[in-house]
Amino acid sequence: MCKEYQTSGHSIRLCAFISALFLSLLCGLFYNMWKYEVERIKLNEGDWQSRLVGFLDQEDIENIKNFATVKDVVINERENRNDQKITVDLHFDDLRVVLTDTPRLAMLTNIPQDGIFYNHALLAMYLIRDPQDTAPRLLFPMFILITLLASVSLIMIVHNAFALSMNAKIHQIGILSSIGATPKQLLTCLLQEAAALCAIPVLGGNLLGIAGCAGFTALSNILANDIPNRHKAIPGYHPLVFALTFLVTAATIGISAWLPARKLSVLTPLEAIKNTGEPYLKRKKKSPMLALMFGVEGELAGNALKAQKKALRTASLSLVLSSMAFTIMQCFFATSEISTRETYFERYQNAWDIMITLKDTDINAFKLKDECRNLSGVRDAVVYQKAMAKRIVTEKEMTDEMKDCGGFSLAQEKYVKKTDEGWLINTPIIILDDQSFLTYCEQLGIPPQLDGAVILNQIRDVTNPDFRHPMFMPYIKNTGVSILRQSGKEDQTTRIPVLSYTEKTPVLREDYATLDYYELVHFLPASLWGNIKNQITGSENDMYIRVLCRENATLEELNSTQNQIDRLIGQSYTITSENRIQEYETNDKQIQGLKILSGSFCAMLAIIGIGNVFSNTLGFVRQRKREFARYMSVGMTPGELRKMFCIEALVLAGQPVLITFPPAVLAILFMLKMSYLTMGEFLDEAPFTPIAIFMLAILASVALAYSFAWRNVQKISLSEVLKDDTQ
Amino acid sequence: MEILKCERIRKVYGFGNNQTTALDGIDLSVSKGEFVAIVGVSGSGKSTLLHILGSVDRPTDGKVTVDGTDLSDLNRTQAAVFRRRKVGLVYQFYNLIPTMTIEKNILLPLALDKKKPNREYFEKIVGSLAIMDKLNALPGQLSGGQQQRAAIARALIYRPALLLADEPTGNLDRKNSGEVMDMLKLLNRNLEQTVLLITHDEKAALEADRIITIEDGRIVGDERKEVKMLP
Repeated sequence: MCKEYQTSGHSIRLCAFISALFLSLLCGLFYNMWKYEVERIKLNEGDWQSRLVGFLDQEDIENIKNFATVKDVVINERENRNDQKITVDLHFDDLRVVLTDTPRLAMLTNIPQDGIFYNHALLAMYLIRDPQDTAPRLLFPMFILITLLASVSLIMIVHNAFALSMNAKIHQIGILSSIGATPKQLLTCLLQEAAALCAIPVLGGNLLGIAGCAGFTALSNILANDIPNRHKAIPGYHPLVFALTFLVTAATIGISAWLPARKLSVLTPLEAIKNTGEPYLKRKKKSPMLALMFGVEGELAGNALKAQKKALRTASLSLVLSSMAFTIMQCFFATSEISTRETYFERYQNAWDIMITLKDTDINAFKLKDECRNLSGVRDAVVYQKAMAKRIVTEKEMTDEMKDCGGFSLAQEKYVKKTDEGWLINTPIIILDDQSFLTYCEQLGIPPQLDGAVILNQIRDVTNPDFRHPMFMPYIKNTGVSILRQSGKEDQTTRIPVLSYTEKTPVLREDYATLDYYELVHFLPASLWGNIKNQITGSENDMYIRVLCRENATLEELNSTQNQIDRLIGQSYTITSENRIQEYETNDKQIQGLKILSGSFCAMLAIIGIGNVFSNTLGFVRQRKREFARYMSVGMTPGELRKMFCIEALVLAGQPVLITFPPAVLAILFMLKMSYLTMGEFLDEAPFTPIAIFMLAILASVALAYSFAWRNVQKISLSEVLKDDTQ
Repeated sequence: MEILKCERIRKVYGFGNNQTTALDGIDLSVSKGEFVAIVGVSGSGKSTLLHILGSVDRPTDGKVTVDGTDLSDLNRTQAAVFRRRKVGLVYQFYNLIPTMTIEKNILLPLALDKKKPNREYFEKIVGSLAIMDKLNALPGQLSGGQQQRAAIARALIYRPALLLADEPTGNLDRKNSGEVMDMLKLLNRNLEQTVLLITHDEKAALEADRIITIEDGRIVGDERKEVKMLP
């Protein structure tokens, strides 16, 4: 008997440890996410809590400073405008008064209501919400929801372990009850024992959770190390988080212990003494498949699983959910990787090696073109800028193919506007530096000249949504001229000659007409743009340099060239730069990070399930002892009993695989349809190995749990069990 | 024909100073077709003896032979197969599998051997035990007497050499007790089934042809009835 208590005690300790670890990890991660978000908001938006904008003099500012709850006032020079208005950033001692005292300060300084601003994002991080702020700000609600879900699912597991352990003492409870112990005394006794069993595992789990959380944060920093402009996460912990974690864990364990303890404490002495706690079926159930496959052992295993259905519900649910989530997640990442590679990395593999973005730079004001081209390692460099104009396409201009496809009948109003003359469409302009434009002309086989534009004369068949294999057709007829209009002021026009109507684009890392299929892209030389930009305007602030290095350049070579460019241009301009291989690797790392995060989530779910299987199997030997004794008494051999065990384990672990299969197939078909990939492409890179490893890990864990249980079953003395039928 | 033979059986529980001798040199011989009752007070060792005869437990010393099989040589698997084929065990608390129907419970020993039942024999047994209409029910849906009759049917399905019944009426009311005892007598006479009944109920013991009394692990009395009463 002592050993039985020990076994169920172990399963309670294990469950308590897993619960504490899980909740500690959850709370710790949430705290670090919260801390990171606060730091990020402060870096991006500033650490001000509220802001007043208006005509303030020195006296007003002094009055604000002297206000009782105000901690600090900072005059925000950057936000101050030319209209004499002053912006002051306010910090309060107590964040709870921000929403009430800022309007008071505004009133004090005669600032109207529209001069009051709040740092809603920051305030929300301290649970201070302004009713005017309608943004969802889901961090806290999500945390509360996830913690609640985690606690409820843990209660379902741990309560089962407690129930098994307490059932092992039901006889003893009956005796205590028969000699006059009140239900309250019994409840207290059971809860005290539970507390004694769980104290150390809870503490251990909490501490390990804190360490795990620091590990996760460090891992996220390593994985996201190369992401440009990312603020580094600094692992942190707070005593209040520990207190919260301990409280949540204690509540979870307490409820788990209280549920079965309450049930047992109110049993009558006779009920308690007679109760075997043995699983049974209320109605007749059949397991035809198992009986057919494995004979009578299969049928018995099926019946036993059905009888334990309630106890195994959490395990089955968690295992099914984890394997389904893991399989679908893996397939999603696989299709996403194939899609990104085909649509982005492979497509642009030869289009760029290094990209430099120059902030607030006009292409004609950039003077380092030649220096850039002359850098060692640079094979080709195109300097370009983008602008947006409008243009009218008349009925007469449209090609017959375009007309056959319905013309502009399918165009959305927000992109294409019908006018008396025709259709007003968006006209993106790609302004190339003159040398690059001349090279482009050569590539097109037209005489190189700088007095006209090249039009990308193609439109996608809008009736075919397959973005991976689009069909194109000629857009407009050759008229030799194009009349560009200023966007938003369409009566401002300029007429430019068209040198060529082509389907061939210059080698740039650009995508054209992806959202608005009716765009008509114009490529212009920078010198021509210099002549017309006052009429057309609409150029973007940033300018780009696309650099090609030698073919098959390594990451080191690209890094070296990138550094040279950064040094050359970075001194005079504000730039950001990226290189192709680095970007590929960063993307890879981001996907890996996402995979690890979602994989960890699935693993957590699986651990909950496996934990439940362990708690059940470690405890069920006591509960099912009479069942096993019955089998043995009618002549079931140890081998046959072991076979029954194996079938139970196989069904428990195999169920998630079988249930996962149909929805996974449906999900894959859906993903393939959405990404226009073929089944063959997917199967070539299908994540069979990780899925198989995950499933096998579940199978191995369940098998391990059952092997422990089997070891205990072998110790059952048949004559002992049969001798005492009241037990 | 001798179906059961026990020679100097001893069974000792515990170690060192905590040793308890449950059986102390039991010699016993039972012939085919006998109806033997073993009586004794609680703790006299009668259930231990039944467990040893049913290969549920092993003696510390001595030799037990049932239908030519020496039980002391059997390993766990062989002992299980022996229980399945050679003895039928009936307990006070029936020990039916609660998740299986009565029919499947009865046929379980055959199913474990992957053998098909002889329908005629099966129907004869369930008919004579009056549980024909309960075959599709679960044990929990039956009364105590019906469950015990189902347990007897299961014990008999393999035509065992020995039917061992451990207080089969201990959990039943007087009417059901009488019915179960009548069934056992009927089986003994009609099928020539050897029955070994363990009981502390003297009235039940009087139904047997031979009454063996055990006290402190020793046989202290072995009485045979002179005349068998025909039903």
